[in-house]
Amino acid sequence: MSFKEKSAWVMGLIMLATGLWYAQLVAAAPQAPVIGPLVPYVLAVIVLSIVAQVILAILSPKEADAPADERERAAIDRAGNWSGMVLGFGVITAVIMYIGGWSATLLVHAVIGSLIVSTIAEYALQIYFFRRAI
Amino acid sequence: MSKRPPITNRVRILREEHDKLSQAALGEAVGVTRHTIIAIEQGRYSPSLETAFRIARLFGVGVEDVFGWEGE
Repeated sequence: MSFKEKSAWVMGLIMLATGLWYAQLVAAAPQAPVIGPLVPYVLAVIVLSIVAQVILAILSPKEADAPADERERAAIDRAGNWSGMVLGFGVITAVIMYIGGWSATLLVHAVIGSLIVSTIAEYALQIYFFRRAI
Repeated sequence: MSKRPPITNRVRILREEHDKLSQAALGEAVGVTRHTIIAIEQGRYSPSLETAFRIARLFGVGVEDVFGWEGE
């Protein structure tokens, strides 16, 4: 498994775990101010991402320094393209729900949720394209 | 699932003819990862024209001596 694939697995799992935690926080108090669940979520993502990338770099220092090659760049670009569509779909759906009566708080949570889902999709697609070799 | 590219190659044969050059060493020499060399050898990935030329020049042959069109 290449360094980029390992990194995608780790980051995808971090986003999945923290995303589920965020959903749990929101479900416990759906109408509470957004800042309540958002701040600990963002901090958790930042800290876990830094720790995971440092550990990966210590384990494979040479690969960590190397830029993505042409096949990896193509995989990353294609995954980003598809995940952008996931984000767009989520945001538009959230706006439609807001127009239909959702509160502004739920709109923000839905947009953040879409961002989380699209990021997870991006890492999952990267892994798929790395393995399929584009 | 996408179709395999219709490009054949002799990269593995040429590696073996050149003192069994490793996939990692070839990848490093032409600027791609070992995983990309593996994907090229297995016919799952067609390299860019630049990488194809780099591989051919490394082995001291022409691009058409390394890569071909399926069925030809």
